[in-house]
Amino acid sequence: MNDVTELAMLQNYLLIGALLFAIGMLGFIVRRNMIVVFLCAEMMLQGVALSLVGWSRYFDDWGGQMLVLFIITVAACEAAIALALILMLARQTGNLDLADWQDLREEGSPPYVDHLIPEQREPPAVWPRLTPAGKVPEVDEEALLHRDRV
Amino acid sequence: MHDFISILIVLVPALPLAAAALVAVLGPFVFRAWSHWLVVAAIGLSFLGSLVLLNDVCRRPDDRPARVVKLWNWTLVDGGAPASAQGDVGNAETAGTRAPFQIDVSLRSDALTSIMLTMVTLVSFLVAVYSIGYMHEDRGYWRFFSYIGLFVFSMTSLVSVSNFLLLFVFWEAVGVCSYLLIGFWYEKPSAAAAGMKAFLVNRVGDFGFMLGVFLIWITYGTLNFHDVVNDGGTVIAGVLGATRISAGAYVGGGVGLAICLLLLLGACGKSAQFPLHVWLPDAMEGPTPVSALIHAATMVTAGIYMITRCTPLYMASPDGQLAVAAIGGFTALLAGLIALTQFDLKRVLAYSTISQLGYMFLGLGTGTLAGISAGMFHLFTHAFFKALLFLGAGSVMHAMGNVIDMRRFGGLRRRMPHTYWTFLVGCLALSGIAPLSGFWSKDAIVASVHSKVHDLQHELSMRDSSGAYGPRTAAAGATAPAAVHPRPPRSKRQLERAANAYQWLYYMAMFTAFLTALYTFRALFMTFFGAEEIPAEAGDHAHESPRSMVVPLVVLAVFAAGVGLVLDLSYLNGTHPFAALLAKTPSLTGAVAATETLGTFHARVAAISMLIASAGVLAASYLYLGAPREVAALQEWMDFQPLLRWTDGDTIMRLGRQPWARAIRQTADRLWLGWLVNLVGLLLAVVLLVVSAPLLLGRLISPYRLSYHKFFFDEVYNAVIVGPLRAGATLCSVIDDWLIDGLVNLAGRVPLMFGSLLRSMQTGLVQFYALAMVLGGIVLLLAVDQHLSGLISQWLHHLLAFTTGVVNG
Repeated sequence: MNDVTELAMLQNYLLIGALLFAIGMLGFIVRRNMIVVFLCAEMMLQGVALSLVGWSRYFDDWGGQMLVLFIITVAACEAAIALALILMLARQTGNLDLADWQDLREEGSPPYVDHLIPEQREPPAVWPRLTPAGKVPEVDEEALLHRDRV
Repeated sequence: MHDFISILIVLVPALPLAAAALVAVLGPFVFRAWSHWLVVAAIGLSFLGSLVLLNDVCRRPDDRPARVVKLWNWTLVDGGAPASAQGDVGNAETAGTRAPFQIDVSLRSDALTSIMLTMVTLVSFLVAVYSIGYMHEDRGYWRFFSYIGLFVFSMTSLVSVSNFLLLFVFWEAVGVCSYLLIGFWYEKPSAAAAGMKAFLVNRVGDFGFMLGVFLIWITYGTLNFHDVVNDGGTVIAGVLGATRISAGAYVGGGVGLAICLLLLLGACGKSAQFPLHVWLPDAMEGPTPVSALIHAATMVTAGIYMITRCTPLYMASPDGQLAVAAIGGFTALLAGLIALTQFDLKRVLAYSTISQLGYMFLGLGTGTLAGISAGMFHLFTHAFFKALLFLGAGSVMHAMGNVIDMRRFGGLRRRMPHTYWTFLVGCLALSGIAPLSGFWSKDAIVASVHSKVHDLQHELSMRDSSGAYGPRTAAAGATAPAAVHPRPPRSKRQLERAANAYQWLYYMAMFTAFLTALYTFRALFMTFFGAEEIPAEAGDHAHESPRSMVVPLVVLAVFAAGVGLVLDLSYLNGTHPFAALLAKTPSLTGAVAATETLGTFHARVAAISMLIASAGVLAASYLYLGAPREVAALQEWMDFQPLLRWTDGDTIMRLGRQPWARAIRQTADRLWLGWLVNLVGLLLAVVLLVVSAPLLLGRLISPYRLSYHKFFFDEVYNAVIVGPLRAGATLCSVIDDWLIDGLVNLAGRVPLMFGSLLRSMQTGLVQFYALAMVLGGIVLLLAVDQHLSGLISQWLHHLLAFTTGVVNG
């Protein structure tokens, strides 16, 4: 009786874990937003972690859960690094499109250009330029009134 | 062994080596323009050491003529020797010993060595002093003196070593020095090519020499010159040691002849004799002091030294001796003929060197003590006067801004009086004019050939009268140990042939003496006489050379003039100090010493050769002094110019316009026979053309042209040897480039081709990589898990059935 419920619970855990993993995988393959892609990767990780917890419970072995704790810790660090990376990448192009980063392709082969989706890119950000120290900045009153970022 | 003389034997070669090494290391940084001091001082000290050695050798007792210093053991291989050395057969002291392959680095001092040492170091010293002036401000000043030091070390070692293998080592070492110094101005392509040519041509000779050394090892079981006493007290008889010489244990016949001919090939390469003489004239691309030192006085005499050293081997093979004499006589004549028409002053001297070396070979080839000592004496005197002539030519070249073509300068007599007078002394000595050194030595060679012919004829007549088989040496055999092992008997036909051959060689030598005087004085007259003419390259430099160049010239001139007078005036009273000293050499004792008394002064031969030399000088002065009767006239006759003019179309036309021809024509016209005259005229013209055609073709190989183009040796060698070799090399390189490299490259390119198929997969899109990973994972999973793959295939099967069902309706 107890075994049966345990097995049923394991099945549930595994099913949810597999689903999480599959959804994460699909998302990883399909999406192009770097943050979403990263989230999908996290989702796959959590799917695996969930199945680990399920197995751990089923075998009454705490090792699995310990492993999960480590996974979560590592995932947190990884998230910090990944987000920092994404931030840097986004700063260079002004958007989060993963397809902008094809530089590792074979030399000489043409880049993949997405013709199906029309170009909807923001123009690259223009940051105000600071005048060198020791000079009175020439302030354009018109620009002061109409600038888009403060 | 650690006495003064032994140390000197080592020091004589060691000092120049040390100087050369120091200059090579410190020259470019420390010594710079002072690089010469160390080398000159070292060579000077070596010369003094050589004098002491010479003095020591003179005073040695006759029973111990050589001194050998063993420095260290180079290599020792036990049991490498052949089972029983053939040369030991019948020699109780050495029979049955299995000599290990042992090479000791040992130096020796005997009469031959010390004479060579004295000559080499003295000439080297003078040339080094001369070079101070000549090479002044050259970019490679220190390099030059370093090479000179290295050369002196190699040459002194070459004559000092007591082993065939070491002889070969230093034989190569002097070759390397020669190569380095010919190509000293390596920016000049012709100099680099000449160095290469010298090296490669020498390689042919060295190959023969090497085979000769192998054959000596196989035959005699040792490579040492001297006898070695083993630890066990047994004596290993050296090839040229006293034991073997007194026993006369030398191998004749085919093997002996082969050894002789192979060694002769080596000597031909180094001493520029007939088949391999082509490198020496090109070697004149090097600096002139080098030409004087290496390519006239010292290195090229290594072949003479080696053959003299190996005299006992040649004694065992009279045919080998005849080959030496024949090569020498032929080369002397050939080079003399070529020297007649060269315009390059240094090349004239180079061919003259080849010719004189031929004389020395001729002397050695007689195989009598008189001949060998005459050959060595000629080597000794030639070193002085040829070095003198070369240094004189260098002095001229220095003044003329490196122009060496004799047609472009002339009448330098007044401008360069010291050079002129010393050059004149050298020319007189080279031509063999009476009191100068060349006369005595050359005459001694010719006389020895003459007496050789006489000996052979005498032997023939003895044979005819008594039928006895003993050579003439039997009479002297009572005192000499040669009687133990007499020279191999020869058949009457062989004797006749040899006598004939030496007779012809005698005539050739006489004719060459004429040629020598002719070309020597041609060079002298073209350079120093006639109207003064100075090429533009000379600039304001056309003056007498600096003192450091003139002093060696004067010293050499004194030697060239005096050596013969001092050493060989004795020919007249029959004491022969030079020959007597040389006869103390172990190689020349025994059988050789018994061959002949020390030679007598043949007044008749001397008178003839003197007359011939004077005739040569007169001919030269007729052709090249005063009115321009010279080359133009010679060329005209040798090129069949008159014939060419006779068969010219213009001449024939002019002939038709002659009064008598016109008269005939008019008469014929009156008789209605004009066509007949025309016909006859035409026929005559055709006949003339047909007759002259071969002669016109012969122009290409007219004597003048043959001589001017050096008998086309270079061209023939190019066509016969260099061309095919080059074609073979090209073929090999094509095969290497295209076939072998092609296969290797193909092996490298196949993975590249497969790689390029997969390369298009590298899109750089992250999603694509993820997808590939996932798909790959699925494939792996399916491959590993059969249950799963069964399930999937079942499912696919159902899917297929379903879809076909849907499609079919």
